[in-house]
Amino acid sequence: MTMTQASQEQPESPTNRPPSMHRFKNWMRRPYARHVMIWTVVIGFLLLPLCWLLLAAMNQTGAPASEIMQDIETTVFVFTLVSIPITAFVFAVLLYSLIGWKRISSDEPPMQENPAIFTNRIGVVLWTVVTSALAMFLVVWGMIELAQITANSYGTISANEQPGGNQSVIVNVTGQQWVWTFAYPQTDGLVSDILYLPVDKPVYFNVTSKDVIHNFWAVELGVKIDANPGAVTTAGVTPNKLGTFNIRCAELCGMHHAYMETEVRVVTQEQFDSWVREMGGRRTS
Amino acid sequence: MSSVAPAHVHSAEVPQPAQHGKPGGIMRRLNFGTGLIGGIGLAIIAGVVTSQFVPSGYASPVTFAPMEGEYVYLAVLLGWVIGFMAGMGAFVGPIRWMLGRESTHLDAEYMAGKDLGRSRYWKYTTDHKVVGIQYLIVTFIVFGFGGLLAMLIRTELGATWTEVFSPAFYNSIIGTHGIAMIIAMIIAVSGPLGNFIVPMMIGARDMAYPRLNALSIWLLVAAVPCLISSLFLGGIQDGWSAYQPLASQAPIGMLGYQMTIIVFAISTGIASVNLMTTILTMRAKGMSWSRTPIFVYGIFAASLMGLYAFPFYQYSQILSLSDRVFNTSFFNPLEGGSVWLYENLFWLLGHPEVYVIIIPTAAVLMEILPVFMRKPLFSFNFAVAGIVGVVALSGLVWAHHMYMTGWAPAVNYPFMLSTEMISIPVGFLVLVVIGTLWRGTSWSRLPLMAVYAVVFNKMIGGVTGIYLSDVPADQYFHGSMFVVAHFHYMLMGAGFFGAMGGIAFYFPKMTGKILDERYGSIGLWTVFVGFQLTFGSMFVAGLQGQPRRVLQFDEQFDISNWISTIGAYTIGVGTLIFLGAIIFSWRDGPMVSGNPWASKSLEWQTPTPVPLENFAVLPVVTERPYNYGVPDPYDEELRAHDGDELESAGAR
Amino acid sequence: MKKFLVILATVLAGVLVVGGIGAVSSISQEEPPVLAATLDGTTMDTPNNGTLPHATLDLSVYPNSSDAVPPPKAGPYESAWLSGQPFYHPSTTIQVPANSVVTINFTQYDSGGQIYNPFFAHVHGSMDGTMTWNGKSVKNVKSDSVGHTFTVHQYPESSQPYFFLSVPLPMNAANAKTDKAGYPVDPQKISVTFVTGEAGTYVWNCEFPCGDEYQEFGGPMQTRGWMAGTFEVVA
Repeated sequence: MTMTQASQEQPESPTNRPPSMHRFKNWMRRPYARHVMIWTVVIGFLLLPLCWLLLAAMNQTGAPASEIMQDIETTVFVFTLVSIPITAFVFAVLLYSLIGWKRISSDEPPMQENPAIFTNRIGVVLWTVVTSALAMFLVVWGMIELAQITANSYGTISANEQPGGNQSVIVNVTGQQWVWTFAYPQTDGLVSDILYLPVDKPVYFNVTSKDVIHNFWAVELGVKIDANPGAVTTAGVTPNKLGTFNIRCAELCGMHHAYMETEVRVVTQEQFDSWVREMGGRRTS
Repeated sequence: MSSVAPAHVHSAEVPQPAQHGKPGGIMRRLNFGTGLIGGIGLAIIAGVVTSQFVPSGYASPVTFAPMEGEYVYLAVLLGWVIGFMAGMGAFVGPIRWMLGRESTHLDAEYMAGKDLGRSRYWKYTTDHKVVGIQYLIVTFIVFGFGGLLAMLIRTELGATWTEVFSPAFYNSIIGTHGIAMIIAMIIAVSGPLGNFIVPMMIGARDMAYPRLNALSIWLLVAAVPCLISSLFLGGIQDGWSAYQPLASQAPIGMLGYQMTIIVFAISTGIASVNLMTTILTMRAKGMSWSRTPIFVYGIFAASLMGLYAFPFYQYSQILSLSDRVFNTSFFNPLEGGSVWLYENLFWLLGHPEVYVIIIPTAAVLMEILPVFMRKPLFSFNFAVAGIVGVVALSGLVWAHHMYMTGWAPAVNYPFMLSTEMISIPVGFLVLVVIGTLWRGTSWSRLPLMAVYAVVFNKMIGGVTGIYLSDVPADQYFHGSMFVVAHFHYMLMGAGFFGAMGGIAFYFPKMTGKILDERYGSIGLWTVFVGFQLTFGSMFVAGLQGQPRRVLQFDEQFDISNWISTIGAYTIGVGTLIFLGAIIFSWRDGPMVSGNPWASKSLEWQTPTPVPLENFAVLPVVTERPYNYGVPDPYDEELRAHDGDELESAGAR
Repeated sequence: MKKFLVILATVLAGVLVVGGIGAVSSISQEEPPVLAATLDGTTMDTPNNGTLPHATLDLSVYPNSSDAVPPPKAGPYESAWLSGQPFYHPSTTIQVPANSVVTINFTQYDSGGQIYNPFFAHVHGSMDGTMTWNGKSVKNVKSDSVGHTFTVHQYPESSQPYFFLSVPLPMNAANAKTDKAGYPVDPQKISVTFVTGEAGTYVWNCEFPCGDEYQEFGGPMQTRGWMAGTFEVVA
């Protein structure tokens, strides 16, 4: 057959491979394939409540108390949801291996009767594509969330650009072995051991340490930043819920590290102002 | 790959140096006892001499700390290490070379422990099989020490209504527990199995550097008392990460930790070089890279990562020690240093180090699976790709431990990317394992049970690692018990159970006995159940907001901690049962043949007990590895019916 | 049967070793004996809580031990490491009654200097925000002449009331006249009065760098029985 004749006729090239949907249906006809798929779905549904249970554990003491914490919880929810399919599949294979494909517990090695599968291109490619796609999704989600949380915690604003005045509260957090102290530079030298914050107002934290590395963790507000000696790190948040929440130290800092706890009290603006007056401070900026 | 082709045995006359005296010379007299005498003796001498030179009451002009104790302790530690190695005979080889004395073939055979019986385990023996057993015993001892501390920790955390130990002591037992377990897990598979099995698996007679092999194990033995002594001198009250500047506030026990790491890093570096050279140059004829067992790849990868990572650890501890003792200020911010420098140096080791633990255990599972599933390893090339991917990325992810330090917030993005990416090659290894389980009727013996435990734990550990790799989620989880539960699931859930499986698998080759099936599996499953209780509820405590390294906490965490403590006691009992099974089987178990698992791998083709030269004739490899199983019946069926289905579907 | 016995023996041996080491460690680390405030039979008016019974407690701070004043009980390593260091006397395990007004009388024998965080040079948490220093009522001490502080702070237990008390103890002058043992003849005397709420457990420590090692916050500052301890409010 000449080349011109071939290009004119263009017959369908003969093949022994059935089209892919057909191959998939054939594969699903195998009993183990159906069973493993069913078990994957079942285990997946059994794992699904975890998405809510994880959040329930995180919310036991009043969280979320800010947008940031809300974003964190949404991230945890989505990540759990996205991790369930692969996890369910692996667990299904483990279980089916024990129950479906059976076991022999003899002293002597059994006769070799298992299929010699050296590789399966479809399986490998599918797994690579799916796990990579999931990982990419998680990365992209994470980066978008991180950008959002950085914006919500005013992370891109350096200490001398922090707007003062009535629009925000600035708190200089000092960690010292083993007590947190909070200075409000906008008042006249007010320093406190309990953190009072007005609700729905941006707060800028300038965090440092007088001695070793501590970590300032306002648990329900979702704020966490190391307190380093010799440096000032910044964080920020806008609390949107009234209440009393926990501040803990999350970096081992010596003997009384476990006792380096204090409270953050998110109160109304009027209560905050009267507290400042009570403590002898005046707003100066 | 077990066919041994007929070989041409070449013999040549190699002119031997004259034999001076008995074979081995002074090495005949040196053993662990003389090592102890040398170590303790030189330690005492060094301590006394140093205390004469330091004016009494001398205090550091910067920190007002009394320095006499520090200098004396440092001298004692150095004296112990050098004296112990001298007493063991580590310097005999180099000194003989300097004096121009060649060692003869008989000397080398003596050093390898020929005809020495049990006493060769107490000497500076170069035979890789002896070194493997020595590593196994040291692993048990260090793991036991770490486990004892774990029981104390959980007792404190379970007794929520009181302080069982003082806070300072609690801080030091968590740090010591951490470093002891890390050391135990690093050597758990690469030590015993890397030394004993790898040379046989590649068809070699010994490692590339037998004397360095002995050096690496005895350096490790020298490091252990440094760590234990620190507990009696105030402890390391700083966690195993020993962050500066807190480490400069700790009692002098901190020096014990720093010396332990400095010596351990040398030991590991030497062992890495040894393993890598052996694997690269001493594989049997015909063992191309596509015929090399996956375990060899795993050990090679772990050695490579250890080689580039451990110097960072050693360096960070040398600088830390210098800050403490010599008034430098590398990490003292008030004098111009930087705390972030320490954190970076430490985590540059800290992350690859966890892969040094995980990759060998994953690799040993991939050795176990084909033997007990009687089918080939699923996609050998994919497994190699996974290991290579992990190694390539392992050095690029360290700053995910530093997301919350405020060091360089812009850098959090690329590290988040690289950390998420590393989950992909790890996923390759999971696929290889479940692919090997796929459609196989398993031969259910103790080593295989470990595989199920490991895969289950690795999935949970891996998924929770994904939360931690994400910076927003880490903003809640960093420094909480969630992190502790995650790394225990990876290092203990995958690492320890994998080590149990590997030891159960190679027990017949290393000891000639088979590990008792019944009690071994009771031990393993007891540990498994306790493990889920302990660290599952630890995840809950972390989610609720319990910080790590605290001995007292709010009552909302009480229930999770009670459950964790009960689980921990269960782990303790299970580990003791497993240990009892090992002891019983080793001493009184029935002898087995050279290949009780009917494996096709080279190391099982030797008789048991393995002769000194491993193989009488070096083997030649002609087959691909893991050549088990019969042709897939579905393949034939598909080929037979292909034509019919196409016709009925109307395709033409 | 023999297998079972070996296993049993291993498990029992392990449990005994762990339990033994744990028990020995725990017993050897017991807190110093309790120093309880004594009710003196009077009552006092408080601004917000009505009239409550009054209790007192005496504490001293010594710069170092001597024949007259023995150091706190400690193990061999600790005693060697901390010899010559300041400590609170006679004990650091403080107990005060709940729902009372408590007065602590401090006698401060040590010198001092500049405190790192001026917050702790002020009195916090006392009944009226002041303390009595050598007879005079003051709210703070100059931040460059602080000797030690007595700072009580939170135990991580949300069910007990929040309690924070910090008292700066001023230093003795460097050239103060000393007696045979080396302690100032005329030490600083400070009294602070505060109100206790419901029962709870707290910890206290000194916040002045009076130890050694990095930032002088090591040594006795990190050791219970010397410059840190527990503070219990008992019902």
